[in-house]
Amino acid sequence: MRSLSIHLKILIAIFLLLGLTIIGYQIVVLKTPVTEKQVDDLWTIDAKISFDVRGTKPVKVQFYIPPKLEPYTIANELFLAKNYGQIIDESQLDSRHVTWSARKITGKQTLYYRLNLTKRHNDEKATLSNSKGITWREPIAIKGPDQLAVDALVNEIRSKSSNIATFISTAINLINDNNNDNVNLLLGNNRTIENKAKVIELVLSHAYIPIQKVYTLKLVNSGVQTPSLWIRSYYVDANKKADNSNELVGEWHYFNTQTGNIGLPNDEIVWWIGDNNVLSVDNGINSQVTFSMQKSELTALSLAKLSSANSQGDYSFYSLPLTTQSAYKIMLMIPFGVLIILLLRNIVGINTLGTFTPVLVALAFRETGLYFGLIFFSIIVAIGLSLRSYLEHLKLQMLPRLSIVLTFVVLLIIFVGLFSHKLGFDQGLSITLFPMVILTMTIERLSITWEERGGAFAFRVAIGTLVTASMAYAVMGFEPFTYFVFTFPAILLILIAFMLAMGRYRGYRLTELFRFKALLS
Amino acid sequence: MTSLIQTWKALREKGIMGINQRNADYILKYNNRRLYPLVDDKILTKQKAIEAGIHVPELYGIVRTEHDIAQIGTILNNHRDFVIKPAQGSGGDGITVIADRYDEQRFKTVSGRLITLPEIEYQLSNIITGLYSLGGMRDSAIIEYRVKPDPIFKSISFEGVPDIRIIVLMGYPVMAMLRLPTRQSNGKANLHQGAIGVGIDLSTGRTLNGTWLNEKIDRHPDTDNHVSGIILPDWQKFMHLAASCYELVGLGYIGVDLVLDQEKGPLILEINARPGLNIQIANDTGLYQRTSKVEAHLAKQKSAGLKDSIEQRILFSQQNFAIKS
Repeated sequence: MRSLSIHLKILIAIFLLLGLTIIGYQIVVLKTPVTEKQVDDLWTIDAKISFDVRGTKPVKVQFYIPPKLEPYTIANELFLAKNYGQIIDESQLDSRHVTWSARKITGKQTLYYRLNLTKRHNDEKATLSNSKGITWREPIAIKGPDQLAVDALVNEIRSKSSNIATFISTAINLINDNNNDNVNLLLGNNRTIENKAKVIELVLSHAYIPIQKVYTLKLVNSGVQTPSLWIRSYYVDANKKADNSNELVGEWHYFNTQTGNIGLPNDEIVWWIGDNNVLSVDNGINSQVTFSMQKSELTALSLAKLSSANSQGDYSFYSLPLTTQSAYKIMLMIPFGVLIILLLRNIVGINTLGTFTPVLVALAFRETGLYFGLIFFSIIVAIGLSLRSYLEHLKLQMLPRLSIVLTFVVLLIIFVGLFSHKLGFDQGLSITLFPMVILTMTIERLSITWEERGGAFAFRVAIGTLVTASMAYAVMGFEPFTYFVFTFPAILLILIAFMLAMGRYRGYRLTELFRFKALLS
Repeated sequence: MTSLIQTWKALREKGIMGINQRNADYILKYNNRRLYPLVDDKILTKQKAIEAGIHVPELYGIVRTEHDIAQIGTILNNHRDFVIKPAQGSGGDGITVIADRYDEQRFKTVSGRLITLPEIEYQLSNIITGLYSLGGMRDSAIIEYRVKPDPIFKSISFEGVPDIRIIVLMGYPVMAMLRLPTRQSNGKANLHQGAIGVGIDLSTGRTLNGTWLNEKIDRHPDTDNHVSGIILPDWQKFMHLAASCYELVGLGYIGVDLVLDQEKGPLILEINARPGLNIQIANDTGLYQRTSKVEAHLAKQKSAGLKDSIEQRILFSQQNFAIKS
């Protein structure tokens, strides 16, 4: 016993020392910021390009990357394409693309493009682009009924509009009107945004107005995203003419293809302009691009710069792909959820279902939100358990009984989800596979507890589980803390040291102080 | 906060054992997990006890498969009263007690209800499909002698059979408690369900005051009789049975459950490898206060190269843990 405790003490000391040394090194030598200061948003956008090559062939990949447009500035960009030659073409205004080429390529290929964007502070009124466009174009040639429909539409739009801006807006609104026969004739059965944009272009061409397609990404912390389609047109704004009487100043104007609204919101960034696909691959099949996006703060930028400066010996999580980063962020917090449960069970003395279930419930709360999750879990577990106690009267065997309960839970989840959706709470639909599995598991374990230890005990355990899960959720979601853990993962070593020490904790639990109170009177 | 710290210190001073201490210093240290099946499966415990000549309720038969159920008639043939219970059940669930035979096909339970042979067969099939076992695993049913509680308990228990729990550390009995069923516990001798625990003086077998749901009490809530001051008959035999369980199963920290039968005297019902801590309230004494004495004694014996016999161990416990009246 004696040697065991010395062994344990040495182990604890090693972990503690190792953790502290690594964190100290990061803070003192690498000068990693300890807290996440709110300076400015830094957007990191990852484009993942993948395609297959049958056999061994020369491959040429053309990929559009965002032009340098206001008000965002590109902090830095990163190209990950090993074995490929790379040319960035910036010769055209408002358009940039990168060309990757290689002579002998085999099998599945994955290339990455990473972009870091920050908003420029100083000139708020900056225009999106300084390039000039054409202001007149030839109509697109068409025949027969299409011609009649276009003419009718142009006349209708003209009667409802006063200038180019309202003309384009009205045109977009008309094309989006499902009840207009002329529009339906032109669209055929294809109501996709792409086709609508094509029809908009056709109609506008007959009013001699040139437009361009613009593909944008929205700056939201959303993970994977697909580009949305806008159109833009270059014309002289009638209102601005008064400013500068001698010169006619044209400007690009952006239109929402769904609503006809003018102007690009601040959180939309232009990725590419024109009719081409964002990606073209010679000799490749199944080519596709996925965009993912994440927000961080500017202090993290200095960190990213730091890591790109000495990139060979760098193991910081900030250099990983974004989706991996957010997964790691959650994973790294799980031990702290477990720590909360350890503390509440062994020091406070709260009864919970197993060790890991409260952590899983806390993870499920991440998807549902805390309050909704608590209410939802309580309702479903309560109904599930009352069903179970009813089934007890039927004297069914354990396994069939549990199966019935679990099937019922699935039905209940779907029902409650639909019901809350009808009432206007969309969280009900957020009960996806993961929370559902945890919910059914919780009910199963709770039923077994009920069998073995009685209803009152099962109730106490359920309350204890919800309390610990909420606390674990709060700790795991505390922003400054998640930043710290993600930036200094060595803190987990200190955590291990603490847990090792807890393994030999022999003191009373808080609840025992009340339980044994009778002994002191 | 300060009152909590005071409570903590006062409990420490009294040598009260907490769950963390019990788990870390006793169960993890003295109980080898490999040996748990010996106490979790009542059939194994019983077989070992019979081999060692230790008194247990007589085994009439075991039903392991659906096929065995058909033979139940022959097993029951020579017995007017018996108990059916799951081998790996817990908390007294799934136990059927038959008090008498009514005719060929029908039996009478303790409460006087009539029960038919097909009903007994259904109950047996429930047990072997795992209705009462932990986690729904397949189980076996035990049919055994029905314990008839000694009349001494009549005035202080409600239905059911009172039993005696003795905590044994490395073969040294350290604390004992008499568990009395109440109306609230439905005749079960389970403290969690509302049975009363009454402390016992190890040296004389005299009962002390009681505990009921973590509170101290001195009278039985159903019969209103005082639970203290009763001398349990055959006490030395109880102590001997409990102390010998250490050699029987090899686990160092156990709770031995015994009953006092009207005809056969003290019998071992089952052995628990994770005995609860409420026994401390019943005896108004901390377990650690006693276990630390036993551990000190063991260390002394070890350095001297000695090993106590069962009688010596009982003597040690009775000398050291006697309660002065």
